[in-house]
Amino acid sequence: MVSERTLMLIHYLTGLGILVAGAVHIGTVFLTAPVKENLEFAGSPFAVMGVYRNAILAGSLEALLLFVAFHAFNGLRVILIELYQSPRWEHAVTWALTVVALLVVIYGTRTIIIAYSIAQGVA
Amino acid sequence: MAGRRNGLAVLVEALRTWLVPYRYGLERWSYTLQRISGVVITLYFVAHIVETGYVVGGPSVWTIRPDAQQYAERVWTETIKFLSNPLFDAGLAIIGFFVAFHTINGIRLFLAHFGWGLGRPTRPEPMHRPQSMSPTQRALFWASIAFAVFALVYTTNAFFGVLA
Ligand code: HEM
Ligand code: HEM
Repeated sequence: MVSERTLMLIHYLTGLGILVAGAVHIGTVFLTAPVKENLEFAGSPFAVMGVYRNAILAGSLEALLLFVAFHAFNGLRVILIELYQSPRWEHAVTWALTVVALLVVIYGTRTIIIAYSIAQGVA
Repeated sequence: MAGRRNGLAVLVEALRTWLVPYRYGLERWSYTLQRISGVVITLYFVAHIVETGYVVGGPSVWTIRPDAQQYAERVWTETIKFLSNPLFDAGLAIIGFFVAFHTINGIRLFLAHFGWGLGRPTRPEPMHRPQSMSPTQRALFWASIAFAVFALVYTTNAFFGVLA
């Protein structure tokens, strides 16, 4: 198993990663045009398809997805094993959260890959 | 701990220490808020990944179909229509508040854990303040509150246009 020390180091590093990738995300959604316009399917440079078409922005969404998935579910793990201590509980919590985190990452990655492909054909 | 206590007693005690920061100083407030904001953002994150899944047409889409683009556009347009109501707008403003707080307070914790901006250790005389809450650290805590309030106002304005 990965040691607690390593997990917490990754927790902090993903925190820093979210700081950067999150700033890019919030910046593209809020600062490039009125939010309502950016939430449209297409029609302006930073509308949803415009973002996914751009390999750098799509890649930074994937990075954000990975960072947040680790950070959030490791955070929940810390909370849940602070709640109650026993080897069985810790084991169950760790496995259950790993599975949920993986499902979220797979689903989100699917969105990014398919949206990237669709977006190439959108004017 | 004397013996094994039942699960409910453990849960009640844990929730009390986590959720009632009153009377233990700033650091406890920071701890409680960091936890609550972390859990709230996590719930939002999962919902957000489900929501953005509709950009390509929802959970059933795993391949590129011939009408992929028209289908995705129709589904996403319906999705944002469904999400455009004051309830979700208010929810986003609250998420903005928590994200802003968690980010700046997270930076504060980061610096504290790596030993930056802390006071020198002193003898714990009665009424002393923990050196982990040095003036720098206190300032960062208040900065996170200020930024969170700013984010609340900013997102409320962006979604409702109340200040327009
Ligand atoms: C903006 C960048 C972020 C930074 C710098 C950051 C930093 C931190 C830090 C330092 C902790 C405390 C760890 C500890 O002392 O044990 C923490 C806890 C937590 N974070 Fe974040 N975080 C960020 C974003 C997020 C996001 C986006 C989420 C959720 C999607 C999240 C979820 C959590 C959770 C659930 C905890 C609770 C773990 C605990 O209380 O120990 N964080 N974060
Ligand atoms: C309230 C503010 C937010 C709005 C309006 C928003 C909106 C969006 C939109 C429209 C997309 C599609 C891509 C694009 O057009 O840029 C997206 C994707 C994404 N957002 Fe957000 N977002 C917000 C906050 C957040 C936060 C706080 C997080 C992290 C916890 C986050 C994480 C992501 C991720 C990981 C994706 C990629 C999802 C995927 O394709 O699988 N967003 N967001």
